[in-house]
Amino acid sequence: MSSVIQEVASTRRAASERRKGDGRMAALFLAPWFAGLFLITAGPMAASLYLSFTDYDLLTAPAWVGFDNYVRMFEDPRLLTSLQVTFTYVFVSVPLQLAAALALALVLDKGMRGLALYRSVYYLPSLLGGSVAIAILWRQIFGADGLVNQVLALVGIEGTGWVSHPDHALNTLIILNVWTFGAPMVIFLAGLRQIPRMYYEAASIDGAGPIRQFWSITVPMLTPIVFFNLVLQLINAFQNFTQAFVVSGGNGGPADSTLLYTLYLYRKGFADLDMGYASAMAWFLLLIIGGMTLVNFLASKYWVHYDD
Amino acid sequence: MRTSITQRGRRGAAVAAGAAATALILSACGGDSGVGGTGDVEAQECPCEIRFSWWGSDERHAATQEIIDAFEAENPDITVVPDFTDWDGYWNKLSTTVAAGDTPDVMTQEERYVSDYATRGVLADLGELDIDTTKIDQSILAGGQIDGTQYALPTGINAYAIVANPAVFEEAGVEIPDDTSWTWEEYVDVANKVSEGAGEGVWGTQDYGFNEAGLNILARQKGESLWTPEGELGVSEETVAEFFQTSLDLMSGGGQPDATRTIEYQHAGPEGSLVGTNVGGMASFWSNQLGALSEASGEDIQLLRYPGETEFERTGMYYKPAMFYSVSATTEYPDAAAKFVDFLLNSEEAARINLTDRGLPANTDMREVIADDLTDADKQVADFMADLGDEIVDASPVPPNGSAEMQDIMERVNTEVIFERITPEEAATMFMEEVNAAIAG
Repeated sequence: MSSVIQEVASTRRAASERRKGDGRMAALFLAPWFAGLFLITAGPMAASLYLSFTDYDLLTAPAWVGFDNYVRMFEDPRLLTSLQVTFTYVFVSVPLQLAAALALALVLDKGMRGLALYRSVYYLPSLLGGSVAIAILWRQIFGADGLVNQVLALVGIEGTGWVSHPDHALNTLIILNVWTFGAPMVIFLAGLRQIPRMYYEAASIDGAGPIRQFWSITVPMLTPIVFFNLVLQLINAFQNFTQAFVVSGGNGGPADSTLLYTLYLYRKGFADLDMGYASAMAWFLLLIIGGMTLVNFLASKYWVHYDD
Repeated sequence: MRTSITQRGRRGAAVAAGAAATALILSACGGDSGVGGTGDVEAQECPCEIRFSWWGSDERHAATQEIIDAFEAENPDITVVPDFTDWDGYWNKLSTTVAAGDTPDVMTQEERYVSDYATRGVLADLGELDIDTTKIDQSILAGGQIDGTQYALPTGINAYAIVANPAVFEEAGVEIPDDTSWTWEEYVDVANKVSEGAGEGVWGTQDYGFNEAGLNILARQKGESLWTPEGELGVSEETVAEFFQTSLDLMSGGGQPDATRTIEYQHAGPEGSLVGTNVGGMASFWSNQLGALSEASGEDIQLLRYPGETEFERTGMYYKPAMFYSVSATTEYPDAAAKFVDFLLNSEEAARINLTDRGLPANTDMREVIADDLTDADKQVADFMADLGDEIVDASPVPPNGSAEMQDIMERVNTEVIFERITPEEAATMFMEEVNAAIAG
């Protein structure tokens, strides 16, 4: 009896030794990630939180000013402009982008030949959309003598310089963001595959047409995926920077019409030597995105269906 | 057992996170760039390595490397490390390196930024260093002084002027006006006529409202000045409104392109400008850009005085220090840095390589040294600058702290004007408010 107990105990010890060894290995493999988290993300975040309470011009040491930077934000008309621009950008481009992604996912889900190729082709813009090269290309396409106007001229419409007109420049950025629908499209495609075929079979036996099937089966079954994409793309869109930076020539012009929040933050910090204020802006953006995501999660109760 | 491991791990992680954050915050606080003169840092003996930063085009990078090679050949114990980028990137990079305590030993400065850097203790007092300034044009030496201390030495001089494309004028059947006597009204008139005569797709002039230098000239003609010597805004709201009104007159008269094209040409630089691409009669540029314009267009582009020089109280044209050389207040090798700046300013070798790329040399002896090496365009610049000498009344005061934002403000206000979203009077009010806010804090 006692030998049995001893045996059990020693097996346990061995298991616990092994677990400890596993733990060390796990720690070793996780170390690079943790190093990245602390040095590249958490550390600078902590530093920027501190800087947001200081007057810091980059050239001299930061001086503590308490909540001054946050108070100043309420009196800054350009901050208001940048918020207007950003909200317009996010709330117009994200729904359009998701609609485009879903539409294409539905088409591709029909199981055509060469699906893998099409999927890759439509995914490409997602990889390229944030790049400087595409943004430069965008400037050319939407220029006064660019491709868009050449096409419009063929049908007798005289276009304007889309990227250089304050009323249209933001629209070109919105189109650029919509164009990068590949990532949510791939997720939608996976989601569509998850819907059991039998629902459709049952519905068609009951006489439901494709449109009725779409609204009564596809849409409700897909809501968790829509929700996931919505949360992700909203967060992404709030943080977009490169496209606006390059298309506007770096200053959010013409006339602040493309002054995305991130672009204004960058200019405040690095061009106007107001890094304390820029840090405060960064934390305010975190609050906005956090708040937006919270609202999203709260609202999800009313429209997202989980199939239990 | 398992829970206790997890708990310990969590506590450990929290401690580590706290430590990392504290370390970073401390290092951020410690990133003090050392306020004061060169005395703060103990000077080291050479052999040594110093870093020189500048902005510019590929040609400038190549030429500057040649100058560095020549300097190193003369001073084998000093190595100069090049550090260059384009104009926009330069200032973001410079402020970041200063914040990191890694200020270049010798750096290129510009009038809109020099005050920001000097008053915050980044720049060394050059008066304490061994640099010969006796040959530097005395009228522009003051451009590098802030509160009486020489923080920066001018590389050369530029003048803001009208450039005219003779081929376009000829095509339009319009004579290039006499720039010694033309008025602002004539300027608008000539531009409109060129547009009319040259036909579709060719315009009289490119909008001048993105650059405050043109406004400064108009202000000076009226006895005002963009900046006062005390570092305040010295231009009146009426003059600013008048300045923007001219753009609108030119647009309605056809003398300059529509607003969207204007913005596209503005972003295209000298090479892609109306004059550079032979689809415009006139434009406003700095005199050292004449070479680039002539080369891009293939025409002998001419320099003209700004209109209105004889119209009001006085002349408005002025010499602007093209750039400055400054030395870091925290350099370990102030003597090597001084030697290099002295070489850049006073050696014939450097002058022959540099020619007029950093403006017509500030060192008056060097202007003669390079006279025979100049291209036709550069010769024209040299003659033009010499002609202006008698007409210029005084130097334009050094722009105050915060004037780096001027470029942005001009672009914003002018865009609102040319899209006719605000009137010139409203633009003037907006301009005054924004500039005053920028220089106040």
